[in-house]
Amino acid sequence: MRRTLAVVLVLAAMAAAGCGMGGQESILDKDRLVIGVRSDLPSVGFRSSDGTYEGFDVDVARYVAGKLGKEVSFLGVLAADREKVLGDGRADLVVATFTIDQERKKRVLFAGPYHISYQDILTRGGETIDNVRDLKGRRICEVTGSNAAQRVVEERGVAARVVPFPDYARCLAALKGGEVDAVTTNDVILAGLAKQDGSGLRLANAQFNEQRSGIGLAKGDVPGCEAVNRAITDMYQDGTAGQLLRKWFGGSGLKFTTIAVPQFEGCS
Amino acid sequence: MTVVQTRAAPVATARRSVPGRIRVISGVTVASLALLFVALAVGSSSARDGLRVIGRDAGPQVVATAGLYLALSDMDAQVANVLVMGEEYPRERVDALDRYEAQRAAANRALLEAFELSGDNRAERRTVESLLDGFGQYERLASQALLLNEQAGHPPGPPPDNVVQTYRKATDLMRLVLLPQAYNLTLESGTIVRATYDEKAVTVPLLRVAVVVTGLVALGCLIWLQVYLARRFRRVFGPALLVATVTTAVALFFGSNVLAQDEAALRTAKAAGFDSVLTLAKTRAISNSMQGDQSRYLLDKELADTYEHTFLDKSLSVVYYNAGNLATYHGAVAGGSKDYLGMLGPELVGERGEEVFRAYQKYQAADRELRAAAEGGRANDAVAARVGPVTTAFTLYDRALVRLADSHQAAFDRAIATGEGALDNLWRLLPYAIGAIGLLVIAGVWPRLKEYR
Repeated sequence: MRRTLAVVLVLAAMAAAGCGMGGQESILDKDRLVIGVRSDLPSVGFRSSDGTYEGFDVDVARYVAGKLGKEVSFLGVLAADREKVLGDGRADLVVATFTIDQERKKRVLFAGPYHISYQDILTRGGETIDNVRDLKGRRICEVTGSNAAQRVVEERGVAARVVPFPDYARCLAALKGGEVDAVTTNDVILAGLAKQDGSGLRLANAQFNEQRSGIGLAKGDVPGCEAVNRAITDMYQDGTAGQLLRKWFGGSGLKFTTIAVPQFEGCS
Repeated sequence: MTVVQTRAAPVATARRSVPGRIRVISGVTVASLALLFVALAVGSSSARDGLRVIGRDAGPQVVATAGLYLALSDMDAQVANVLVMGEEYPRERVDALDRYEAQRAAANRALLEAFELSGDNRAERRTVESLLDGFGQYERLASQALLLNEQAGHPPGPPPDNVVQTYRKATDLMRLVLLPQAYNLTLESGTIVRATYDEKAVTVPLLRVAVVVTGLVALGCLIWLQVYLARRFRRVFGPALLVATVTTAVALFFGSNVLAQDEAALRTAKAAGFDSVLTLAKTRAISNSMQGDQSRYLLDKELADTYEHTFLDKSLSVVYYNAGNLATYHGAVAGGSKDYLGMLGPELVGERGEEVFRAYQKYQAADRELRAAAEGGRANDAVAARVGPVTTAFTLYDRALVRLADSHQAAFDRAIATGEGALDNLWRLLPYAIGAIGLLVIAGVWPRLKEYR
């Protein structure tokens, strides 16, 4: 009797402890990951006509999922959707030029950064704009949903003339048509646009605002975030990061003199 | 538990013979005692393993790798300082060069230590090797920049182009390649501690429950044995078995108590000690590179905007106010509202925390002066601010951080020592308890069995 009781007690204790372990769900517990990638940025995250996704971010996402031993499917997201798809569980990871900042960190856990990019300037071939200061008095695109143009005016205090456009395609057309003088945003986005365009647009390589692109996870998944960081370290140590950067941005005018594992944000 | 169950079977077959019955009950008792001690041994070695990883491996590694980051970051800041001083400030220039040398030696030592501590972790080892390679290259570039600067003999402020170009190569290597790797090593130690703690926070309490359950079963068996003997042989007391029962009860109580102490020690070491030590080590690292960014802002006119932005970005990660540009941020820090986020957000409590915040305010105020002078085209004044008030304010802020970190380090060391001390006592006494209980059970049962010879 007593012995039966003992067995029951131990089993009960184990069951109770077992329940206590499964508080936060981790991406590590899943076999298949849904990864949010941009659908609108050539060479970065782009949905091609046959419905597949391609670009630097997409390849990074595939590499990380592979290192974690998971199968992967992609979900196309635009800038405004990135937090939402993590919050409502539609995506397990978001690899979509998702810049790490303190406001977003309230709602999103960031692994990485997997790449450091800079805010940069794209102009017509013959232009001499080399520096953010040279934008003074010039017309620049402001694309809906991006704060890049505002950062020039407010953060850097450069009196550029901001012209609004709904998306990059129309902004680029305006640049080529002479309606605006420059487009400014994340350098990989500009490099992708320039490469797709192919008409000899010029990237200034002004590198004036550092942008740390991180991999977004649901808040609280610390073990998942740490595992992603280890995968990113591997990606740089085995040379994949350099290959991918050259594959997607080679010949676009983007400088990559330094390809090294970025300083991680930390998962706690 | 299966052992107990299989032992139950022979009881039925040997029911009729008294010595057989005594043997069976004694066997069950000894088996349950063995289980108790196995549970104690497993529980305490699991706790010891946790204390070792957190207290002896990953904990010290955080300190070692954070030291590496600081030494490297400060080397680069000192080079930048020398370059902006130009021909002036002979005394400060010598100080900066001395400090560069001292930090170079410190970085060398820290690299060797990090290499040893990386053990058989392959990714970590590769990181340290890559740091060693890059470190040599950095030294060459830095000495080249210093030499060119010496030859140029320029007034305080930005040096000539060739100096800036060479320094840019050096600082890019340092900031973009070496420092991130050193920082990530520190984070990796944090990962090891977190994973170990999460595992132990589940297994140690579970093993403590196992100790209590097996202990109660063993006590039950000892009482059962005595009741049986008392009934059969009409003796009220078997002194040996009575002492064995009391010893078992003491071992049970003491053992589960030690495990509870170790649970608490692990929790305290992690939450009150390690987490803060790690956060403050990260803060010191980032703050040090902030003061480097101030010199680089003065030294490289072309990239001044970039360095101003990285300074703001790092400031925001240390003490976060919602501020879109540096001027707004300066204002917010001077305002001193307490609802800031960032790394220091949860850390700055108590007198020592207040002290850090006040020192940080002074440091940011000094930065405001430096930027005002630079933007007003007064390069001389800006360099004077960098060499004088900014350096003083930064040193005071850094010292306040160290004092705060030391208090957490002390809490961490105490918790680890308490946990290990409790385990040491348990392991010293456990063999005696096992021996004594074994002998006492034999002494209690043997004479009864002999009566049937």
